[in-house]
Amino acid sequence: MELAAGDRVVYPNQGVCRVTTIDEKEVAGQKLVFVSMQREEDGARVMVPKQKLESIGVRKISSPEEVQKIFAFLRADTEKADLDWKVRARTNLDRMTGGGLQGLAEVVKGLQVLSELRALPTKERELYDNARHLLVAEISAALDIPECNAEDAIDIALFPPGKERPKRTPQEFARGGAEDEDIDLGDDVLGLEGADLGLPEEAEAPEEEEAGAEAEGEEAAPAKKSTRAVLSDDEETVAAGAPLPEEAAPVKRKRGRAPKPKPAEGAEPAPPKKRGRPPKPKPPVDPNAPPPKKRGRPPKSAAAKAETKSDTKKKKK
Amino acid sequence: MIRVVTLDEFEPRQLENFTKALYQAFGVGSEHTATLPAPAGLNEPYDAVKLIEAMPRVPAYEDDKVLFLTSKKLADRDLPTGKAPTSGFALQGRDKAVVSLFPKKNLEEGFKFAARHALHQVGHLWDLHHCLDPRCAMYPPWTPSFPNGEPIFCAFCREKSEQKIRMTKS
Ligand SMILES: [Zn+2]
Ligand SMILES: [Zn+2]
Repeated sequence: MELAAGDRVVYPNQGVCRVTTIDEKEVAGQKLVFVSMQREEDGARVMVPKQKLESIGVRKISSPEEVQKIFAFLRADTEKADLDWKVRARTNLDRMTGGGLQGLAEVVKGLQVLSELRALPTKERELYDNARHLLVAEISAALDIPECNAEDAIDIALFPPGKERPKRTPQEFARGGAEDEDIDLGDDVLGLEGADLGLPEEAEAPEEEEAGAEAEGEEAAPAKKSTRAVLSDDEETVAAGAPLPEEAAPVKRKRGRAPKPKPAEGAEPAPPKKRGRPPKPKPPVDPNAPPPKKRGRPPKSAAAKAETKSDTKKKKK
Repeated sequence: MIRVVTLDEFEPRQLENFTKALYQAFGVGSEHTATLPAPAGLNEPYDAVKLIEAMPRVPAYEDDKVLFLTSKKLADRDLPTGKAPTSGFALQGRDKAVVSLFPKKNLEEGFKFAARHALHQVGHLWDLHHCLDPRCAMYPPWTPSFPNGEPIFCAFCREKSEQKIRMTKS
């Protein structure tokens, strides 16, 4: 792949970058050509030896014709995620590290269709958002349109106007017996050699999806998770306890992707921060609900009624 | 701070409820900052992208988000996959968005409608993407159920917006 300063490239799992310089440097007596890139969304910089670009999967941005194929794929009703979460996790891991636009579209489409059967567990909801973020950014760059237009273009295909999403049945996902083998997911998703944009680790193995599997659908049994003004749902994001401190965030980033909260083992929720917001009226306390979230936003009115759900704490191991 | 800039007259008390809904959803201050005329030469239905570009600068701090509120119709956008019904538009991850009250007559009749669309567009300003939960304001806004929903986020979107807001504040 021949690159020149000013070219726009896609760095797998990181997004659209612009090549800033290509120059030769001497490292341990050896002359190497380095390609410097800057991520467009937040200006994060990375420098990679030219010879490693291919193995990392850095590629030029997709063409408009390739994007049209992606839209056709998103419109079609073919992508059914594997119901075995381990198989699904490995497949999606490969798609993300592969760094192709089609792979991103497959992750988004696959998880969206799966969500029409049952709510996604937290890790997969995050993966869905990451894949969507990268997909939107590349389509926006490839077609030179604003990101919101790129996202709407994706969703006009995924959620055609005038229709609500279908409800799926497990039979639709049936396929030849998936093996239940154990795989080591580790942190490979962001195990990008040679170049670290300093991002927090994002994609990880989804936790066991019993929680999601037990939920009979998004509307079925909203769980009371907290006292915040927020919809309770089957996602376990809220139940995950306090996010880790933000030390993982790279210094350089201005407005990059947020570090994802991690299910810190035995972590205690941080005390609610005082932000000069109005005092919260105390809603009825649900004994099964996890402790209130660390950041007190003003409580919501009675809009999102929630019921108790017993599986909200499952993710704590 | 979320700064609401109106392009037409709105009843002050209703406007106050509107900014309060934004405050409750994002946990950051929200106020009506100004009423400004729509850019000259822009005809109804407004092109949302052009409108945002052409609006005069609003006095604001660096991390402020500016939301233009109009009762006039926004033109549907022609996108590569079809026409996108348009009640709002935002510069993803940046500082400006617009929301239309159309076809609602006023903020009393159209409060939930406007507030839910406003949450959606301001959510984009904090880099939220579309959501899978039909109850969430980040659900695609042209879906039939969207206008009847509450101005509220799901746990995931709320959490993500909190993280973004925390990052810009620190
Ligand atoms: Zn949107
Ligand atoms: Zn949401």
